[in-house]
Amino acid sequence: MLWGNSMKENVKARFFDVTSIGYIFMMLIVAIVQPGEDVLLDLGQNSLVALLCFVVALVLVVMLEKAKVKTLGRLIFEPAHKKAQGQKKGMLQSFWGAQLSVFFLITLIASLIVTEFSFYELSSQKGFEGAKRIFSAMFTPNLSILPQGVLAIVQTIFMAFLATAIAVPVSFILSFLCASNIMNKSAMGVIVYTVLRIIMNVTRSIEPLIWAIIFSVWVGIGPFAGMLALMIHTVASLTKQYSEQIECVEDGPVEGIQSTGANALQVIWFAIVPQIVLPFISFTIFRWDINVRMATIIGLVGGGGIGTMLMNYQGQALWHEVGTLGLLIIAVVWAMDVASAQIREALK
Amino acid sequence: MSNNILSVKNLEKTYANGVQALKGVSFDVKKGEFLVIIGLSGSGKSTLLRCLNRLHEPTGGEILFHGKNTAHIKGSEVRNLRSKIAMIFQHFNLVDRHTVMSNVMMGSLHSTGTFQSLLGLFSDKAKEQALKYLKLVGIADKANYRASQLSGGQKQRVAIARALAQHPEVLLADEPVASLDPATCHTVMDYLEKVNKELGITIVCNLHFLSLVRRYATRVIALKGGQVIYDGEPKNIDNAWFEKIYGEGAKEVHIN
Ligand SMILES: Nc1ncnc2c1ncn2[C@@H]1O[C@H](COP(=O)(O)OP(=O)(O)OP(=O)(O)O)[C@@H](O)[C@H]1O
Ligand SMILES: [Mg+2]
Repeated sequence: MLWGNSMKENVKARFFDVTSIGYIFMMLIVAIVQPGEDVLLDLGQNSLVALLCFVVALVLVVMLEKAKVKTLGRLIFEPAHKKAQGQKKGMLQSFWGAQLSVFFLITLIASLIVTEFSFYELSSQKGFEGAKRIFSAMFTPNLSILPQGVLAIVQTIFMAFLATAIAVPVSFILSFLCASNIMNKSAMGVIVYTVLRIIMNVTRSIEPLIWAIIFSVWVGIGPFAGMLALMIHTVASLTKQYSEQIECVEDGPVEGIQSTGANALQVIWFAIVPQIVLPFISFTIFRWDINVRMATIIGLVGGGGIGTMLMNYQGQALWHEVGTLGLLIIAVVWAMDVASAQIREALK
Repeated sequence: MSNNILSVKNLEKTYANGVQALKGVSFDVKKGEFLVIIGLSGSGKSTLLRCLNRLHEPTGGEILFHGKNTAHIKGSEVRNLRSKIAMIFQHFNLVDRHTVMSNVMMGSLHSTGTFQSLLGLFSDKAKEQALKYLKLVGIADKANYRASQLSGGQKQRVAIARALAQHPEVLLADEPVASLDPATCHTVMDYLEKVNKELGITIVCNLHFLSLVRRYATRVIALKGGQVIYDGEPKNIDNAWFEKIYGEGAKEVHIN
């Protein structure tokens, strides 16, 4: 068991080092060769170069390993029992520091180039004037559209509420199937756990905005598509949060109930659920809060509610109206934020 | 054989990490005994108790409960066994957010249907019994308190009441007083003695303090490194035995 674990850590450390060092090589080659766009688009040739970089990196990493040099990967993925031993300082030990610095520096330079970062643009007179015009328009809101705005934001809040309300019971059940301490008792359990975990991770890694686009094709543009998008994302997020909570319940009460001869469902209900209700409620309220914000964004791609309305005015460059809706959104989001923070605090 | 309620034969337990906690432990428990297990920390006392009610599965040997080997039973058989061999713990293991009453009712989970129990529909008889056992451990007035509001000694008494609500034949106690002050220690031990004498429930109890052992035990087993090195009456543990059990130079601490 122990051996299996340190083995796994070793592979992770090696993978990390090979990727990061290979990446450094690649960036150095780009810096030296200064390839033009046509060269950069030659995927076949570039993959070959990348592969070469990784192979060289792999050789280097194996050599470093032999020399017992502490690389960044080894530092991060060192097994806990080794970490506890503490470590000797020395020239060779600080290799990871250099690795980290080079990695960070190269990435910083590359990203400055890629994002076309320019103080000139940021401070150009013309651009600045334009921004000023929009801002001043926004701060002189057109209050005549306020009633419509309020209706739209109420729709957004309800959309967020429904998405959360449907997601909660689904996540509640799924979270037990996604908690390793519940599922690791049998082979079947481990399979269900693994499959569900993968599905949930994939679902969660797809942004609600993308879901909204998918659903607006499926059920047509509007609040229903937005709600479905939010719901899917909420199920995945809440399941993760809930199951993490289940994984760190105290063993004591569980053993206490087990030793009365209770069955698995009874143990869950009487020993685990009481330990998780409060965090569950707190996560749920927080999720609703997040969903109101997300529902606004989803509206931008046609998910209905205040977001759609905002998008319409923005398209017509009606900045006074955009400003009105902006203020409304700020007010509601702020109120939700404060309310949910207060409630969560009180529940602790 | 007939008055041995439990009979442990050559019991072995090796944990998944390779630690060999029990290396061939054999002894009998007679019906109605107050058996105390002593030994240094890490000698395997908790492991032994947890094998008896099958919170752990032994890796070798036999445990005969009424003559039937329980070492490798599964599923509902394990739950039946646990309902007959109750257990209390050093850290009480109550459900803190539930009331005292509700905690005691949990002792009757095994005899209540799953569906009823999840809805909280315990029988009137179960409620009556729960109250009776709360009275027996002198804590009926706290029935509607949350478990988290009780002191350590009170919690352990609730744990005893929960165990009694299972109608067990044996009560295992894993260092039941190790986190209590000396006075409370005696209160709790007195209740265990009462359970033993008045209800005739056999008790197997891990303890640290020899003075408590001498006061309450009818028989003592000492473990060392996962093996039994003493099995007999408490009064026969003299200084020589003491040093053998706890290592040379160890001094007995008295608790009154
Ligand atoms: N779940 C477990 N997994 C792995 N090893 C364990 C586990 N539980 C106990 N052990 C190991 O088994 C040995 C016996 O532990 P056990 O808890 O039975 O001792 P104990 O006599 O009850 O000690 P204490 O007086 O400290 O409670 C110890 O070396 C311990 O580290
Ligand atoms: Mg112990």
